[in-house]
Amino acid sequence: MTPLYQASHLCIDIGGKRIADNISFAIAPGEIVALAGASGAGKSMSAMTPFGLTHAIASGSAMLAGQQLIGMAEKDLRSIRAAQLGFIFQQPLTALTPHRTVAAHLTEAACQAGGARPSHKDMAAMLANVGLSRPEERLAQYPHRLSGGERQRVLIAAALAHGPSLLIADEPVSALDAALRRDVMAMLTGLCRDRGMAMLLVSHDLAGIEQYADRLLLLQDGRLIESGAAAVIVQKPRSDYGKALMAATPRLDEALPPLLAPGAILLEARNISVHFPKAGWRGGWRGENLQAVDNVSLTLAKGETLALVGGSGSGKSTLGRAIAGLGPMQAGTVIWQGKPLPPRARRTAEHRRLIQPVFQDPLASLDPRWSVAQTIAEPLRWLLPAAERGTMGGALVTKLLEEVDLPAEFATRKPAALSGGQAQRVAIARALAADPQMLLLDEATSALDPLVAGGVTALLGRLQKERGLSVLFITHDLALARRVAHRIAVMENGHIVETAPRDTIFSAPQAEATRRLIAASH
Amino acid sequence: MHLDATSTSSLFVSGGLGALFAACHSHEYSPAEIFRLTILPLILRRLLTAIPTLLGIIILSFLLMRFAPGGPFDGERPLAPETRAALEAAYGLNKGLGTQIWLYLSRLAQGDFGPSLIYRDFTVTELIAQSLPISLLIGGLALLLASVLGISAGLFAAARAGMWQDQALMLTATLLTALPTFVTGPLLALIFGLWLGWLPVSGQGGGGAWLLLPVIALALPVAGAVAKLARAGLAEILGQDHIRAARARGVAPLTILRRHALRPALVPVASYLGPAAAGLLTGAVVIETVFGLPGLGRYFVQGALNRDYPLVLGVVTLYAALIILFNLIADLIYGWLDPRMRDV
Repeated sequence: MTPLYQASHLCIDIGGKRIADNISFAIAPGEIVALAGASGAGKSMSAMTPFGLTHAIASGSAMLAGQQLIGMAEKDLRSIRAAQLGFIFQQPLTALTPHRTVAAHLTEAACQAGGARPSHKDMAAMLANVGLSRPEERLAQYPHRLSGGERQRVLIAAALAHGPSLLIADEPVSALDAALRRDVMAMLTGLCRDRGMAMLLVSHDLAGIEQYADRLLLLQDGRLIESGAAAVIVQKPRSDYGKALMAATPRLDEALPPLLAPGAILLEARNISVHFPKAGWRGGWRGENLQAVDNVSLTLAKGETLALVGGSGSGKSTLGRAIAGLGPMQAGTVIWQGKPLPPRARRTAEHRRLIQPVFQDPLASLDPRWSVAQTIAEPLRWLLPAAERGTMGGALVTKLLEEVDLPAEFATRKPAALSGGQAQRVAIARALAADPQMLLLDEATSALDPLVAGGVTALLGRLQKERGLSVLFITHDLALARRVAHRIAVMENGHIVETAPRDTIFSAPQAEATRRLIAASH
Repeated sequence: MHLDATSTSSLFVSGGLGALFAACHSHEYSPAEIFRLTILPLILRRLLTAIPTLLGIIILSFLLMRFAPGGPFDGERPLAPETRAALEAAYGLNKGLGTQIWLYLSRLAQGDFGPSLIYRDFTVTELIAQSLPISLLIGGLALLLASVLGISAGLFAAARAGMWQDQALMLTATLLTALPTFVTGPLLALIFGLWLGWLPVSGQGGGGAWLLLPVIALALPVAGAVAKLARAGLAEILGQDHIRAARARGVAPLTILRRHALRPALVPVASYLGPAAAGLLTGAVVIETVFGLPGLGRYFVQGALNRDYPLVLGVVTLYAALIILFNLIADLIYGWLDPRMRDV
């Protein structure tokens, strides 16, 4: 079959720097091709630049249905985008214009290739087609009234409204939670098969790629490392890079890595409840509350990792924050080695030292104006006596940097000069500076790409062994939880519906929510 | 986002406001429904809070005026004690403060601002009725001019971000905001009135020519501020994901600007113009003095200097009511510019 889109010796440059070098691939009608690789590998740039959607400059050749895109005037490129292409971006929350209704978006999309203005019924059908419930009602709504998953479906409906022959999907589901990811990907691939539409899928989710893509192109530092049938590469990568990438990606069917046996009970949370006043003046007026965590209890032993898993909005972060004393807690007690911890406002520095958090976005959790040394030394200022601090401060920072595998030169750097993985290591070093006995890891690796996340996960495992740390590991990634945690607690709607050791929870899931999560993770 | 020369210049010509109105279509809800669901509750809530706010402002200004030294009947030559007592009795100034406030408020509730103590042949209502139209006319025109000029210049600069046109416009805008009206007013009068002799420099002549200089002098600093806000607003919006999504759909640059970028970009402009409008419309003392116009601002200053209690209170009440009104209008405009704000 003649390819619909063919990139030959494609090179991408930004400001004289080559970020993609000599990449060639072809997509036939109805075919799904995935571009994968670590962040910074040049996947998005290679996918978007030939169509004029980045600031980068493309050279080489990119042919779409017999037309050369490289060097084409922006005006002509624009009409090609309008007529033949559909785009889906990573961020569904911000990709819709806030002051335009769903109907306005769909109308614009349907007319972009010169099509007739769609009727209300047509638009409702478009929404029904992408699995959006109550489509009639959605048409009049503004984007902010829709959830992330609903917005992504609207974007997909808009991308398909003019019947494109090629869909460019840049991480279309990575902002959604596991159950939604599977639904949306299944829907997209189904639409490709039904309409004979081709799809260029940019993703770092290898499990998803194996399942949905026909072919896989693996990029490293802008070069094509490996390409071929997706299932073959994911199962048996030939390149070292491919092997490392696959090994770093947790899978539900991998062998269980060994963990040290936990010790005595360290922490016990009893009957924790957290609620927030409902947003909007109406909710506040009636004193309505949103029950985020409802009467939840859990225990954590010394040296043990307990994973809290669940969809977005299930209450796992709120529970973690309540236990660590970082967020509100309306009812319940936290017992630390047999003695109750005081409520949040009355916890002393010594109490707070015991549990240290590491958050999801490493760059957002570091002060951009502080050097790495200042950031790491900050807990010492509050938690160590002044005398010890003066003599030990500098040496301790160096020791902590060493402990998180960063060279001592990093001490003078600012966060802007750190990569995501390095910044997360600094955040971990800061948590360790307080000499805690327990870490609260809230999606600590989910903003990182697989290789970097794998490195950070391995580091956390090593630190747990060396320091005998207990870890409350909050994640939406079941395979990752299986890799790192002794026990897994599944949360749904503010309740823990099931807690079980990692080997039994997958073989014999008890709760319906657990079964759904496991099904969504495959 | 890159825009070619023809599209930016036609945007510039069409003017920010023209494009703004063209961008209005909320065809999914009927206007009546929008009014009932979002606008009416907002207005009712605001009215509810406006009454205590106004009361507080009136009482506070009343007390401040009274505790300031001096009084309306202090002059070069002291009045005979019995004359002064008779005057104070006539205007009710000999009663207790609480009684006076009560009397003032109850008259105000009937729409009576009381008599002026200095311009004794006039009531405060008459003085305001004489002077407010001039202030409203000059302020309203200045507001319009500042919005059109500022928004157009700001949008043009944002479309040419980083180029010399952008830098020149923003430098001008900064200069305009920095220059006080007591510099620009006389300067304009000097150049166009005295040297070139094109325009009258004082008073209200026949036709509309007398309006030009005061309106321009009043509008320039506001236009500068609006231009900077509009430019910053649009530059921020143009970098957002929904603009890239629209480009991906192949929407033409000018349409993207008009349909997807303009309304969110104008939110900061609206939040600035609300309170600024109240200030412009209730009289600019400096401009009225420079150009010899009998507007409200001058009466306010005269009244304050001469301790004309009812006149000052009347103007303060009017000013406060206008501020509340314009903040309400600004909120309604926010809601139109960005539907997320309707849900608060």
